[in-house]
Amino acid sequence: MCRKQSEYSLSGICSKLFVMVLLVVLFVPSARAVPSYSRQTGLPCASCHYAPPELTPFGRTFKLEGYTFTTKAQVTDDKKDHNAALHLLEVFPLSIIFDTSLTATKSPQPGTQNGNFQFPQAASLFLAGAWTSHIGSFVQVTYDSQSDQFSWDNTDIRYANHGGTLLGKPVTYGITLNNNPGVEDLWNSTPAWGFPWVGSNVAPGPSAAALINGTLAQDVAGVGGYTMWNEHWYLAATMYRSEHLGGAQPNPGTGYGFNIRGVAPYWRAAWQTSTKNSYLEIGTYGMHVKSTPSAVTGLMDGYTDFAADFQYDRTLPQLKSDVLSVRGTYIRENSTLLATFAAGGAAQTFHHLNTAQANVEYHFGTKFSGTAGLFDITGTRDLLLFPQAAVAGSANGAPQSSGYTLNLSWWPEQNIDLAVQYTGYLRFNGAKTNYDGAGRDAAGNNTVYVLARFVF
Amino acid sequence: MRDLAVRLIATSILCSLILPAALQAQSDAAKTFKANCVLCHSADGSGDSATGKAMHAKDLRSDEVQKQSDAALAEAITKGKGKMPAFGAKIHPEDVNKLVAYIRDLANKK
Repeated sequence: MCRKQSEYSLSGICSKLFVMVLLVVLFVPSARAVPSYSRQTGLPCASCHYAPPELTPFGRTFKLEGYTFTTKAQVTDDKKDHNAALHLLEVFPLSIIFDTSLTATKSPQPGTQNGNFQFPQAASLFLAGAWTSHIGSFVQVTYDSQSDQFSWDNTDIRYANHGGTLLGKPVTYGITLNNNPGVEDLWNSTPAWGFPWVGSNVAPGPSAAALINGTLAQDVAGVGGYTMWNEHWYLAATMYRSEHLGGAQPNPGTGYGFNIRGVAPYWRAAWQTSTKNSYLEIGTYGMHVKSTPSAVTGLMDGYTDFAADFQYDRTLPQLKSDVLSVRGTYIRENSTLLATFAAGGAAQTFHHLNTAQANVEYHFGTKFSGTAGLFDITGTRDLLLFPQAAVAGSANGAPQSSGYTLNLSWWPEQNIDLAVQYTGYLRFNGAKTNYDGAGRDAAGNNTVYVLARFVF
Repeated sequence: MRDLAVRLIATSILCSLILPAALQAQSDAAKTFKANCVLCHSADGSGDSATGKAMHAKDLRSDEVQKQSDAALAEAITKGKGKMPAFGAKIHPEDVNKLVAYIRDLANKK
């Protein structure tokens, strides 16, 4: 029995370490703007983005309508009698992003060299554009320099229909196939497209993150529907299943922290309004997941995430139409970790996690932007769920982390981003000082990150 | 009386030939408008959506637009104007003319 318990504990620790590594990797934001959309629409990047990936109202509508709007020549054939139609872009919608970066933390990670130069940090290929008159895509495949391989990244393939009316008001509706809860969202206040837009993939990040805050990104596959009614009300829902890239099929669950049992519903509701120079969105989103770690049978862990968000954009005509943006979100996660508790991976079953994020950004035309963001994570203390480990662990089992991120971006061209970012931690994995029990302070993880991004 | 009957029949035949063509033209133009213009100018041409406001889309029913000649409107559609992209590569000149007529109709519906 003792031996068995020991094995469970080892398994639990391995599972948690895997999740931590995953979280560090997933903490890196995936922020993208895609030139093939520009080639397809004949419009500059700035029509859809205040600064990529932040969407303007036009960008949101373009996404809502399935990435299909085009002004360019197509190979076409009209639908007649029993013949099908054809609307094919003459230009194949491919794009590339190339990122190279430098990361330095205040204190080097033990046994490693500080000042990490990555050339490239990542390079992405995109298939992004209209497939037909009603179907379009955002498909991303990314090369990661640490794993030295290409992997499937954010994907949103959608069917959309617009121009109809419901109760006398305009309605747009569609279907989305995607692999990241929230990637189909239209706003930059939610995690999938939220601040920070760029970030290091080697600097330590907090070990606790809500499921909807990127934890399931590219590890699930979902199909859902969405609608925008009267240009004010947005509703969306998607059902997800686990889809482990590189894993065995059918899924045995082994080695994966989250194996969705049944389906995991994601929901989203938002209301938007605008005047000539102001735009406001208020919304809610969430997800419910039943999952078994490293297995597909047996006891289950349950997670329910409730979240609220807002976004406000103010155009300032007196300042050459500069734009001030303010965004925020709060996520409450309640979890019942029966499986993890039984496996010795948690000291108790019931947990909660609170995540608050807010940022304010000033766009100097389309050439410069400055952003200041705050984040705060609090939750249930658990020495088994958040175990002690050098750098990535917590000595007191608390998930508390808080800090700020400052970002300056210069866009000499609309498709080149030169950014400098500083992330400061006031608290990291439960403490300000000696948070990992190995003498590392929260401020030791303060990070300077310099990025050059080329998009073409 | 006979002349009147002939005229009525001739008029009916003419109408039956012209009206469907006119309705068809309208329908085609409506489709073109929906696919290409609604995103910024709204279904009623007002441009009174968040997108339209952000792009400073013109109210197609306004005097500023309506007082322009058909040729000027067609050129704006084909070659683009201000923030509006050029649609000349996508929309056939014949459809551009139908679109101009559709835009004229929007003002009448205001």
